[in-house]
Amino acid sequence: MLFSQARKRNVVNTTTATRVGRVDGFVVLPGPARVALLRLGKVSGAGTLLAWEDLQGFGPDAVTVPTDAVIRPPRDALEQRAEDNDLEIMGKRVLTERGMELGPVTDVDFDPETGAVTSLITKTETIAGQQLIGLGGYAVVVSA
Amino acid sequence: MTTPTPMLLLRASELAGRPVVTLGGELVAEIKDIIFERTGGRIAGFTLRNPGLFSRSRKDSLPWSGVHGVGRDAVMVSDETVLVPSKELAPRKQAHKADVLEDRVLTDNGRDLGRVVDVVLHSGTSLDVVGYEVQASEVLGTAGQRVFIPLPDTMAVSGEHLIVPAAATEFVSEDLAGFGAAVSAFRARLREGTS
Repeated sequence: MLFSQARKRNVVNTTTATRVGRVDGFVVLPGPARVALLRLGKVSGAGTLLAWEDLQGFGPDAVTVPTDAVIRPPRDALEQRAEDNDLEIMGKRVLTERGMELGPVTDVDFDPETGAVTSLITKTETIAGQQLIGLGGYAVVVSA
Repeated sequence: MTTPTPMLLLRASELAGRPVVTLGGELVAEIKDIIFERTGGRIAGFTLRNPGLFSRSRKDSLPWSGVHGVGRDAVMVSDETVLVPSKELAPRKQAHKADVLEDRVLTDNGRDLGRVVDVVLHSGTSLDVVGYEVQASEVLGTAGQRVFIPLPDTMAVSGEHLIVPAAATEFVSEDLAGFGAAVSAFRARLREGTS
């Protein structure tokens, strides 16, 4: 599933059967490349982060959670940066470890069962998820 | 799939301002200047400045040993811990690039080939000085134009005179694209001892 398709998907609490938010972004971490957190919008509480392991399911029509309590504020500096949108992968420049730029990330393909990132997509390249080395405020770094 | 990195020739002037980026994707600094080793035509490292328009020089530098890769778009480092205090790397100012620029290149038989306008580097496992970009004198057929002159691989970059073997004039390139082959051919000739 592509990030572009999965964005804006509703997050539904399966206990109360109510909508508790909307997927606004994805926080990808390397080693192995995976979706670690979802960044939510249209939430009722203070928190906007939802860890992948707290999901019930990432379905074709909705993301489901067992309780509102799993939507939470950042717990550490990395999560704070994620909430501040500093680590957003979409649109970020891709650099190889040899210092060659491959253009901005236009989309990311991931496995909705596991959260594993299968590939990064730029205008000219499709880069395997295993090639992801790092993701920071400035660039996405991939092995050459 | 990413394409394999081709042999990369760079002008030293192009490196200034290039971002220094960690493998974690964080911007650390920008390259300010190149520090040449005093002998051997190698790069000892880089002085740095903070990124941005009104950037200041920094008191730390990047030694070559801390460089993971030098590409067209960035200088990659594993992380910020590879930086060292500048005085460890560049105890003397004359090791810097600025000394070579504007100098005249002389052949070992005493002909003036022109004025150095840039230094050409080859980025591989180390970053080596492979030639000069020169504003050509009348000795070369292309007087007034900028051409590339190859250097032997054992050349001192900053000396009082920039002296190249006379055979270098046979391997002058007019563009950087063809210069890599010219450097290889020139160095092969020197190794044969027929210069």
